[in-house]
Order: sequence, then C-alpha cells, then structure tokens
Amino acid sequence: MMTEVATTLAGARKGRPSILRRWVGQALARNLSCLVVPGPEVALAHGLNLAAADMRIAATPRDATVLLVVGELSQKLDEATAVLYAQMPRPRAILVLGGSEPSSLPKADVSADLSQTELMEAATRLQRLLAEDAFAASPDDFDSSILQTKTEYVCPMHPEVVEDEPGSCPKCGMDLVAREAGGDADAGEHDHSGHGHGDHDHGDHDHGSSGFMSMVEVTKDLPRSADGLAMDWLEVPFGPCFPGLPGGLRLTLTLDGDGVTEGQATSLVAMGTPSEEVAVETFIERLAAATPLAPVSYRLLACRAIEQAAGLEPDPAVERGRAAALERERIASHLGWLAQLGRQLSFVWLTRRAAALQLETQRADGEQLVVLRPALQALIARLEHTPLLKARLKGIGALPHGSQDLRGPVARASGRTEDARQADAMYCELGFELYIEGAGDAWARFRQRHVEIVTSLDLVEAAGDPELPKLRAIDSPSGTGEATVETPRGRSTLQLTLERGQVVSVELDGACRQHIGLAADLVEGQELGDALVAVGSLDLSPWEVSS
Amino acid sequence: MVAQAFFVGVFGLAAIGFGVAVFRTASMVRSALALLFSQAAVGCMFLAMQAEFLGVLQIMMMATEMSIMAIFMVMFMMDPGGLGGMDMSHQKRFSIGAGAIAATTAISVALFSDWGPIFAEAPDAAMQTRELGFEMLDRSMLIFETAAITILTAMIAATAVAIPVRQPGVDTGKLDKENGDKEQEASK
Amino acid sequence: MTVAIVLLTLLVGAWLLAVIEAWLTTGRLRPVAPLLAGLSHLGRESILARKPDRLFFETAPVLLLVVAVLGAAVLPLTPDLVIADLATGALFLNAVLAYVLVSLIMAGWGPNGAYAMIGGWRFLGQLIAYSMLIVMPITATAMRAESLLNSVIVESQAGLWNIVYQPLGFVLFFIAAMALAFRSPFDLPTAPGELAGGVDAEYTGVRLTVLRLARLVMLITLSAATTVFFLGGWQGPLLPPWAWSLIKTLAVAVSMLLVGYYLPRIREADLLGWCWKFGIPLALLNILIVGLLILVVP
Repeated sequence: MMTEVATTLAGARKGRPSILRRWVGQALARNLSCLVVPGPEVALAHGLNLAAADMRIAATPRDATVLLVVGELSQKLDEATAVLYAQMPRPRAILVLGGSEPSSLPKADVSADLSQTELMEAATRLQRLLAEDAFAASPDDFDSSILQTKTEYVCPMHPEVVEDEPGSCPKCGMDLVAREAGGDADAGEHDHSGHGHGDHDHGDHDHGSSGFMSMVEVTKDLPRSADGLAMDWLEVPFGPCFPGLPGGLRLTLTLDGDGVTEGQATSLVAMGTPSEEVAVETFIERLAAATPLAPVSYRLLACRAIEQAAGLEPDPAVERGRAAALERERIASHLGWLAQLGRQLSFVWLTRRAAALQLETQRADGEQLVVLRPALQALIARLEHTPLLKARLKGIGALPHGSQDLRGPVARASGRTEDARQADAMYCELGFELYIEGAGDAWARFRQRHVEIVTSLDLVEAAGDPELPKLRAIDSPSGTGEATVETPRGRSTLQLTLERGQVVSVELDGACRQHIGLAADLVEGQELGDALVAVGSLDLSPWEVSS
Repeated sequence: MVAQAFFVGVFGLAAIGFGVAVFRTASMVRSALALLFSQAAVGCMFLAMQAEFLGVLQIMMMATEMSIMAIFMVMFMMDPGGLGGMDMSHQKRFSIGAGAIAATTAISVALFSDWGPIFAEAPDAAMQTRELGFEMLDRSMLIFETAAITILTAMIAATAVAIPVRQPGVDTGKLDKENGDKEQEASK
Repeated sequence: MTVAIVLLTLLVGAWLLAVIEAWLTTGRLRPVAPLLAGLSHLGRESILARKPDRLFFETAPVLLLVVAVLGAAVLPLTPDLVIADLATGALFLNAVLAYVLVSLIMAGWGPNGAYAMIGGWRFLGQLIAYSMLIVMPITATAMRAESLLNSVIVESQAGLWNIVYQPLGFVLFFIAAMALAFRSPFDLPTAPGELAGGVDAEYTGVRLTVLRLARLVMLITLSAATTVFFLGGWQGPLLPPWAWSLIKTLAVAVSMLLVGYYLPRIREADLLGWCWKFGIPLALLNILIVGLLILVVP
C-alpha cells in the first residue's frame, strides 16, 4: 500500500494557531492515546507493540486522541466506529493500518501497512501532524448519516406514552421528555430514566384521589429482578470496542442497578459466505485475514481442505512443521487471552507480561520457544497463586448442564473429551495427551489454558521448528474436501468444493459458533463484573462466528 | 464577636437557601444533595459558634446519610433525574400550616426560654471534646444506649418487614422458588 | 506561607506519583509525561454529555480536589508545618473524607451516562466496606494518644509507632485507604475493564485534568494520614522532620500503587462481604486490644 501524509488533520479543533496552541499541539503529539478498533487484542495478534511506538491504549473514545484502525473492518463495525470517532474530543486523528479506509469516517490522516516498523513510522508522522495542525482556522465538521437520530418524546411516568412532538402527557400532565429513538449504537449516552426496554406495559392506573403519586402503585406492575425490587432497567451496550471484551463483540445487557437481568451477545464482524468464485491462494489469504485472532489455524484449515480436495496425501514432514506452527499460535492466543483478562480486571502487571510474552512467542522459532519456556511457566505459577484472582474466577460463569456443542478449552474445562487433535496421527506420534479440568467455571477455563500452554510447548519441542502453512504444489484440481483443525478456541471444520482450481462453495464451521450463544445464559442474574468475567472467560472470537 | 455573628448568619442563610432548593428542584438527587448541603451549613454554624466537635460531627454524618437517601430516591422514584419537571411539593395547604406553626413554636422557644447565664468565653475545643465525652459516658449514657438499641431494632425490623413473605410451593419468582425448595427439603 | 508550602508539596507529590504510575503501566520513566498530559488536556475539547446535570458535572471534580486538599490541611508534616492543627483533627479528616462519596455520586450522576452512574452508585454501595475501616482504626490511634489532635497522635508514637502497637489497625486502614482513593484493586467506581472508566468516562479536557489531579492528591492525603496515624509522622533519626514525613508518605503511596499493579480488581460482593464479616469485627477487636493495652500497660 502507498503511504501518504494528509495535508491537514481531519479532526482539528477550531482556533487560529497561536504559541499556546502550538505548545498544546506538541504536548498532544507526545502524549498519543489511541482507541484501537477492533481492539487491542487484535493489534497484539498482528504483532503490533503499541507501547514501543509511544502510544497508550485508551479505554474510552473520550480519552483517545487517535483512532487506530487495525485491518479490514466489516460494514457494521465500520458504522459503529463512526459513532466512536464522533465521541472523541478534538483534536483527533485517524490512523489506519493495513486495510482500506473505513467508509463512514473522514479520510484517514495517516495510513500504513500492518507491521511494527510501519506503525513506528506512522506514529512519527502522526506526531508531526498533531504538533502542527491540531488547531485550524476552519476545520471540517464530521457529520454522517449514521449519527443522525430521531427524537421522540416520552412521559417519565408512563413509558407507553410516546409522541413525536414535545408537550405534556395525556395521562398525568407531566412534561414529556425527549429521547433518542432506537439509537442503541451510542454507548456513552443514556437517559437516567432509560425506559428504553419498552417490552412491558404496566397498563392504566389512577393516582388515587389526592393526586399524590404512590410509588407502590406506579411500580406495582414493573418487572421485578431477583432481589424483588422494582427499579428502572437500563439497556446498556458493551462493545463493540469495550476495553474488557473482545473487539467486534457487542454485549447488550439489561441492567438492574449493578445486576444483569438479561443479556445478548452479537458479533459485528462475523464471517459472511463468499459469493464469488476465488482462486485457492486468494481464498486462503482471505480466510486468514478474516480470522485475525487465529490466522495460522485457519490458514492450515484451508490448506488441508484444499489438499484433500486435490487428493493429496498428508506429508509427515510438512505436517510436523504445521503442527508446531499451530501449537505456537495456541500458546500466543492463550497469552493474548490472559492479557485481555488483565485488561478486564485492571491487572496491569498481567497485561504487560502476557502481552510481551505473546509478542515474543509469535516470532519465536522452535529453539526460542524452548528458551521462553521458563518465563511462561513462571507466569503460570505466579498466576495460580495471585491473591484475589481465584476469588474473582472461581464459581463464575459455570456452564449449564447439557450445554450442546462446546469446543476447545471451554469444553475441556467442563470435563468433555473434545479435541480434534486426538484423531490426528501426527499428534499421537508427538505424544499428545489430553488434559481435562472438570469444574466448568471461569477458574477451570483459566487453568485449562495454563495447562494447554505447557502441553503446546511440549508438542512444539517434539515437532521442531514451526512452519507457516503453505499450500503444497497442486495444479487446478476439482473435487470436494473437508478438514478439521483444533484452533486455539476449539474445533473448526471447513468443507469446500473446487472447480479447476477455483473455490466455488464453502461451508465453514467456526470455533466460536456455539459459544457466542452461551453468553446470554452466563450473564443472566449476575453482577455486572461477574457477567463480564464470565463472557470474557469464554475467549470469544467474534470473527470465528458464522453470520 | 462581629465576625462570629456574621458567619453564623451567612451559614444560617445558606442552610435556609439549600433547604428551599430541596423543594424547588425536580431532580430527586439534587433534592437529596441540597438537603445534605443545608445540613452541612448547619454544621458550619456550629463551627462558627465555636462548637467544633458538634460541627465536624454534623458535617460528617450528613454526607453519608443524605447520600444513602439519594440512592433510595433513585431506586424507588420514577424519573429521579427530574426530566419531567415534577413538582416536589405536595399537600401544600397542610404543609404551609404545619410549617408556620413549627416556625412560630421554634422562635418562641428561642425567645422566651431562660437560657441561663451567658459565658463570656467558650471553653477551648479540646476541653469541649473532653467534656462531651464525659457527658456521653456518664449522665447521658443510658439515653444514648437506649436510642442506639432502638434504632438498631428498628433497622432490623424494617428489613425483616421489607423481605417478602415466602410461602413454600408458591411460584412468585425465581428466588422465592429456590428458597421454597430449600424449605421443603429442610422439612423432610 | 504554610499553606503555600503544603499546596506545593501536594502538587510535587502528585507529579511524582503520576510519573511512577506511568512508569509501572508503560515501563518508561518519563518525568515530563504528566505535565504534557495536563497541557494536552487543556487544549482538548470539553464535551458536555446530552442532558447532563450540569451543576453536578462541574462541581464533582472540584469538590474531590477540595476534599483532598482539606484533608491534607489537618495533617502535620512537621510539628509546625500544618495548616490547621484542629482539636478535632482526626474527626475532621473523617468528615472531609466522607465527601469523596458525595463527589463521586455527583460525578456519576452528572454526565447522564450509564457507565458513570453505575460507577458512582457502586461507590456508595461499598460505603460500609471502606468508611468503617477508616473510622475505627483512627479511633484506636486517638485512644492511645488520648486526643483528637493529629500532632498529639504523632507524639504519642514517640516510643513505639502505631504500626507495631496496633498492626491490625494499620492493615485495615491501609486497605480502606486504598478503597477510599479507589485505586486498583479497589477501583470499582472507575473500573476500566468493566465500566470503561465509570465516573471518569464522560470527562474530557480541563475537567478531566482536575479529576485526575484530585485522585493523585487524594492518594497523597491518605498516605500522609497513614503516616500520621500509624508510622510516627515526622519522627525518625538523623533526618529533619519534614524529610521523614515526606519519605514515609511517599513510601506508603508507592506501596499502594504497587499493590494495585500486582493485583486484579476485587469482586464487588467479596469486598463488601469480607469487610462486613472480617473487617469490622477485626477493627472492633483492634479497639478492644488497644483499650486493654492502655489500661494494662502504664
């Protein structure tokens, strides 16, 4: 991609440049805080070290100077990003790394490729831009059709009264209150009296003869939560770029005070089914790019399925290197989950340590991984004995009995012997042994991942140097193939049909297809903090969900 | 002396001002916090009148008490933010009457009581604290202890009354059902 | 003059803690970073949320800063360096700290946002957890000194610091002070991973600068309080009194930052539960033990 420098900052603040403003611009430039879209874990999975580029990760758009877009955005995420950008205080800048510029946003101030060196350069350019152009005499306003909302007027006492015009309530005569109609994309702004859930109707009631509004009467038909109190319920969106949740995942929670009454998880980045025919090489690249949290696994999956369709027998030497690459990614992915857990629990040490190890693991060859082993084991040993952590995870997010089609660490932590690696001859040769935690709660998943990090280290040591899966030489074959790979988040199956070297039909069963539906059960009736930990412990990848 | 009277007056007016604000706002939370600052102003009046311990105590107690009141307002009232412009005053005629009578009584008590001889100099703050301590653990101990136990009893009783009665076997909600199940098991 | 010195100390302390905090989170020691952050906030847009309670929104950060400074005003740094050595100093500190809660409720309610509101009310929900554990250990130190004058409380520790005399009280106070300053692992009202900043979430620009400064000053005030009540205040060999006060206060503040760095956020229910079940009984036990010691040991 061509790198280019925009001439002025798209999100400059209005004001003629003065000495003071120049200082402020320079201060801003040396204090970059960025909101990462889809999320910091995606940046990490791409091997980006933001701290090395002097960038701080902001928790909210209000705290961010730079909107950092990593990779290609889906249409839905693109629109959500526009809302986030609108919430950032000016001066603000957009940095796009690898991928086309989001269509809902103004032109990116700096864009570059997805690599650490490009990031460092881009950060420098961005700093120069901010230092010079943070203030402009006539900056452009950012306005987009996505930000437009319809205003409606409701009675604070009678949620069923909804009017288009301001006025007074026909039932009690109180002034109607303006409310945004259906604007659920706006995470920061909610009315205190958020009667947005509108699926209850507490009918007609008179206020008694004295005209005094009795709270007993007003609240008698409102839905009650587990504690028996009738309170206002708020429907609050968490995500798609929430600091404690995977990027691209939107968790909509109905909150009753600090408790969650119900919740729903949706993915904004779920994979669509490709409509056109593509060449096999392109297909592999696209699949890997569409699953940024486990690109190696899905690359491997595609390679295997295509090779099977082409009728190639597995080659042990190649499979060995591929297994090592898969296991290395598993280690890195689990470390990424630990970093995410650290972010969720403000456990700064864990975030830093796990992220640093993840970056090293991604780059490591077989020998370097052996060198990393003591550090990884020390991290695990330490976490098992960290005070408060067990209390935080134990008993949280226990999966209901009879949960169907669990996969990966989530399944194994619930005592299921579910692992695609068992059926793999190569893994038998490498001496793979299945480990199973039984309790099925967040703590069990936490420990399951610890053990899997060590198991994977053993496997990499036995298998030798990891080799990135590459398609073996085939000419333009036709046929159908099916392959299964145990990705870091669980078993994923790909079926595809080839016609003369073109992929014509694809059916992908992503690893998190079922897990995303578990979120609703896990959050119900929990405290907010526990609900988020429970959802986090599933290690959802919203990319590996079929839409 | 003039400065003292001035500050007593200022804080007194502030207390009244915040007191009026309690009823002039539509927001429950503002109302509760206005009451808090009204009471804190009374605490400052104590400070201006050299009753340091009482003043600080008043300022401390009111912060938490009124905050707790604010959350109860938010929990139980619809539209606690006052977006609908609700009127805080009810039963106006009765309240005006009651207010007038109470004010007259308070003023007449202030004017017609025999307050005893006037001290030229208040004891210093440390001395006051000391004497207050002796007073509370001596003559007034029984009164305070009785009051404390009464309040504690009232709190426990209020909580007990507020918990809905659970009848085993009646499905009134998830929580009730679970408890009912437990009770049934216990009875077996 | 005293006022100026104390205010300057607070500012320098806040700067130092900001540097250390950034050092822990980013691994880089950049002394100018807090100043740059402050300056850049000054130039940023101050966004007002839709339909805010403007009065609360504007008042909250300032109130928090005032509370933190007022708290520091009654704490003696040396026998002479104290803005007001009140006869009810220990109680006054409690009274002032109660307004942290008021400020957070305002900050939570003001911006009309769900995250902020939950954060603010959360802090109120945890009231018993921290406020009782602030009040009761201070009571025990005042018992030993037989005075509410903070300077007398310091002098009462001339022979033996309270950290040795009543270690239980120190531990409880240290924990409660962290909870009151809502530092990690007790950062329930801000909770970056749960509430996206909570009460901080809607603040930008100058207001955010004031809010962050207030939090740092709060940390210093509570560390200074720990020093005065449990670490013998300005007392120590060789060095002058002000140096001892400074060293001890900074040591307490840094240890609070370190504890937060190495621990995950506590569960809300656990904090409240443990404080009711263990904290308050232990604090009462501490008072009982200190009472017995005073009576038995001459």
